[in-house]
Amino acid sequence: MTARRDLWAGLAWTSPFLLGTVVFLLIPAAMSLYFSFTEYSLIEPPLFVGLDNYRHMARDGLFWKVVANTAAFALGSVLVGTPLAIGIAALLEARVRGSSFVRAVVFFPTLVPIVAASIGWMWLYAGEHGLVNRLLALVGVRGRDWLNDPATAMPALIAMSLWIIGSPVVIYGAAMRDVPRSLYEAADLDGMGPATRFCNVTLPMISPAVLFNVVVSIIWSLQVFAVPAIMTKGGPNEATNVYALYVYRTAFDYAQMGYASALAWVQLLITLALALIVVLGARRFVHYRS
Amino acid sequence: MSDRAESTLHLTRRTALGALAAGAAGWALLPSRPRSHAGVPRGRTEITYWEKWTNREGEAIQAVVDRFNQTQSRIWVHRIPVADITSKAMVAIGGGDPPDLVGFFTYNVPQFAEAGAIMAMDEFDGLRDGLPPLDPDLYAPAVRRLLTYRGRQRVGVNTCYTLGLYWNRAHFRERGLDPDQPPTTLDRLDELGEALTALAQDGRIERAGFLQNMPGWWPTIWPIFFGADVYDAEADTCTIAGDACIRAYEWVQATARRFGPEQTRSFMAQFGRSNHSAQDPFISGRASMIMQGPWMANFINAFNPGLDYGAAVFPMADELAGAGVLPGLLEADVLAIPRACPHPEEAWTFFKHMQSVGVQEALARAHCKPSPMRTTSPGFAVGHGNPFVGAFDAIAKSPDVKVLPQTRVWKQFSDLSISAFDAIWSGADVPTELAALQSRVNDQIATDAARRARRSRA
Amino acid sequence: MRTRNRSNPLARLTLYAALALLAVAFATPLLWMLATALRPADQTLDPTVGLLPRITTDAGDTVSPLAPTYWSGVAGVVADNTRAVLDSPTHDFPLYMQNSLKVALLSVLGMVLSSAVVAYGLARIRWRGRTAVFIVVLATMMMPFTVIMAPQYLLFRQLGWIGSFKPLWVPAWFGGAFSIFLLRQFFMGIPRDLDEAARLDGCGHWRTFWLVIMPLSKPALAVVALFQFMAVWNDFAGPLVFLNHERMYTVALGLQMYQNQHGGVPWNLVMTASLIATLPVFVVFLLAQRSIVEGVATQGLKD
Repeated sequence: MTARRDLWAGLAWTSPFLLGTVVFLLIPAAMSLYFSFTEYSLIEPPLFVGLDNYRHMARDGLFWKVVANTAAFALGSVLVGTPLAIGIAALLEARVRGSSFVRAVVFFPTLVPIVAASIGWMWLYAGEHGLVNRLLALVGVRGRDWLNDPATAMPALIAMSLWIIGSPVVIYGAAMRDVPRSLYEAADLDGMGPATRFCNVTLPMISPAVLFNVVVSIIWSLQVFAVPAIMTKGGPNEATNVYALYVYRTAFDYAQMGYASALAWVQLLITLALALIVVLGARRFVHYRS
Repeated sequence: MSDRAESTLHLTRRTALGALAAGAAGWALLPSRPRSHAGVPRGRTEITYWEKWTNREGEAIQAVVDRFNQTQSRIWVHRIPVADITSKAMVAIGGGDPPDLVGFFTYNVPQFAEAGAIMAMDEFDGLRDGLPPLDPDLYAPAVRRLLTYRGRQRVGVNTCYTLGLYWNRAHFRERGLDPDQPPTTLDRLDELGEALTALAQDGRIERAGFLQNMPGWWPTIWPIFFGADVYDAEADTCTIAGDACIRAYEWVQATARRFGPEQTRSFMAQFGRSNHSAQDPFISGRASMIMQGPWMANFINAFNPGLDYGAAVFPMADELAGAGVLPGLLEADVLAIPRACPHPEEAWTFFKHMQSVGVQEALARAHCKPSPMRTTSPGFAVGHGNPFVGAFDAIAKSPDVKVLPQTRVWKQFSDLSISAFDAIWSGADVPTELAALQSRVNDQIATDAARRARRSRA
Repeated sequence: MRTRNRSNPLARLTLYAALALLAVAFATPLLWMLATALRPADQTLDPTVGLLPRITTDAGDTVSPLAPTYWSGVAGVVADNTRAVLDSPTHDFPLYMQNSLKVALLSVLGMVLSSAVVAYGLARIRWRGRTAVFIVVLATMMMPFTVIMAPQYLLFRQLGWIGSFKPLWVPAWFGGAFSIFLLRQFFMGIPRDLDEAARLDGCGHWRTFWLVIMPLSKPALAVVALFQFMAVWNDFAGPLVFLNHERMYTVALGLQMYQNQHGGVPWNLVMTASLIATLPVFVVFLLAQRSIVEGVATQGLKD
């Protein structure tokens, strides 16, 4: 009796979310799945074309370039960002005078509107007057036009994304504070140095947070849109054309909503697959406290 | 929050946040009064006009709109500057919420016309508005071609431009060259380009004579100066791998080889997005010759009025120069009326006003461009912002002038050709690269054609 | 760690150096933006100008930054730049701010209320399927915006919402994954005895929710409100897709358009506009730094 009543109560209380998910997420996703089998330009009704859009991807050179660019961005920002964030968090956890101020400074870029942050960094990277090149000039290095050079544009965007690292740093910091002191004391008794202790005690203990952050940043970096859309518009020579930007362009610049929907669904499947692989693959390394 | 000092601090912060939220709420709830919206006279039908221009060019179109509004008692045109106008218009039209007029790029025309998303001008034929009908003979022939798609006029013109060669007369003098003799053939352009280039001791380019990748906005233009087409409109095929096109890009590649692809690229990189500013390579005197549009004079006036320069028809291959033809590229901005817009009749009235010789010449003068009309008024060049507008006007009216390919896949064509140009500049084999580009573009055209066919069957 | 650092002055020095380096590295981009916003147009690209602008008297003498008139000079430049941005003939920033605020307040209100209700259902009612629903909540975070943006647009058109702000705030009234997650974690931590006591007093779920859970959850609710405010204020893709009319632009979108159309050339004005867009977030952060940081930290505790 109560179980039944509780079931109804639970459904009633969660109904806003369930309803919202169906209306704003599942129905649009289903529509997009349908569009992915059509030729559709927004200004004309959709026309069913079967698997054409998916088949077209194999022959679409730009698609592969975009996949490679997105992979480069994701790899760059996850592989560099994760150790960097853990390192910064460890540094900030050595609680000395001023460390909370530094934490605030590190965290603040996370809150800067992404448009403002992107514009600010365009100015930092700008030709000969940008700060980056001015600083390089001080040490006698001749700078380049970072965002307009196909070789440096993507690394420049990755470097910028590393500036927005506040959230993982805070999460790692919280996880490090949760590590029981007794484990450190035991490690000290075993005669471990700080480095060994970090690898043998801290890292395993914060591994759930690492897994969480890696998954989140993979999801985030596969969806990155605003930064390249504002800073480079995908250029130069498509060097920073990433997946979400390509989907947006295909839909709204090339007027191929059908193909764009197919691309978006592939993106969703890739995201799910990667998240699953990481979570399953990390099982052996992640240490959950019971 | 553990000790008392902190909790009082917390309390004041909370109060401050609360006050902030209350203030914000108050402001948000105030009725908003958009500045741009103010001043619509009572009783006028307000029509919205989306235009991509901003700054000086935006002010010029606003002046035209203001004048129209003053002479009207029925209609009030509200111009809205819109960035990313193609996608915004597509979404708005597809979403059933279109503006009354949109300022498009010419490459939008095939797309929107084919989809029936913009009205053809003949659809207004039956309309009795007491105004003289639109006369397509008023347009320059190339402009008229641009406005027409599949035999029907789909859009109106809203200024046009052609491209010419700007040269720095002071640099010519400095190298002992006659500043009144700009190159007329490509061979001469190469010679002068080499003579005018200044290299630093370490081989870096200090000043460029002439580089085809500067500013590099028209990567498909070069075959025009060899008399070749990159697209065959009759057959709806890309022809960029033809012999004359190969010669054109081999000529481009020769320049890159002469000065080094890396050297030229790093020279270019110094300018970044500074085109049309005080740091622009030509305006700042770092490039002696450059291909640019007529508007350049406006920017020279603004940023370096002392620059001693000239502008003329762009040089061409010897055989063309000998044949007395005047090749070039004409591009235009266009004005469209979206289907199902809220006020088509009022939009049409404003549209016709915009298509008059007087308005187009006034706008062209303000934008520092040639006139898009068949005949240019005698006074047009007098006091025009570009002292060399005659050259640009002559190209616009030349029977040999070409327009950009009128195909639905132009955007993809253009994006692909940017990569191909870059590869060629870096030293890729020209025939191979062009063949690959041509087959990719034709692939896009074929895919598109197949889809059109399937759609018309359905 | 504390004891070890105290005992070793060299380690302590290294630590301070590293912290200082960190602070400089992360603060520099913003400081440089700020420095640029302090410059008049003719100094924007001047390589001889450092962090502080050059202020000259009418006679052309340079004023030292130590002189009080220097700072009134700087204030004058800031006022000029701000006015140039706010009075821009093409971009109505005060209106964009108001638009952003409207959307932000409506969606904050909706997000807090709905997410709290849903979180209550997940945390305080024991029913079969609640784990499944919770997994769905987490899974919705994975959906790329690209998949749903166009269909959502068509959906909103069907609903007649295009041309209004509704696409930007109505979905918030159905809760959001992150807010629900955060509130669920918080509600789980509230002792169950309180519910039992309320039930004995004859309270149903609705009254327990309002009289017991909500009053105890003010800090968590505040965090949700702050995050939602910032998410809406900073959102770029949503307004880009759903808003057509310039007079409806939000700050983020207006800023992008402003930058785009100036080609980034008057950097001093573009930076001023960027800072104006950042200012509200900065104020909120100063006032509620601790709650925000705690809120972020909670995200990582999904084990």
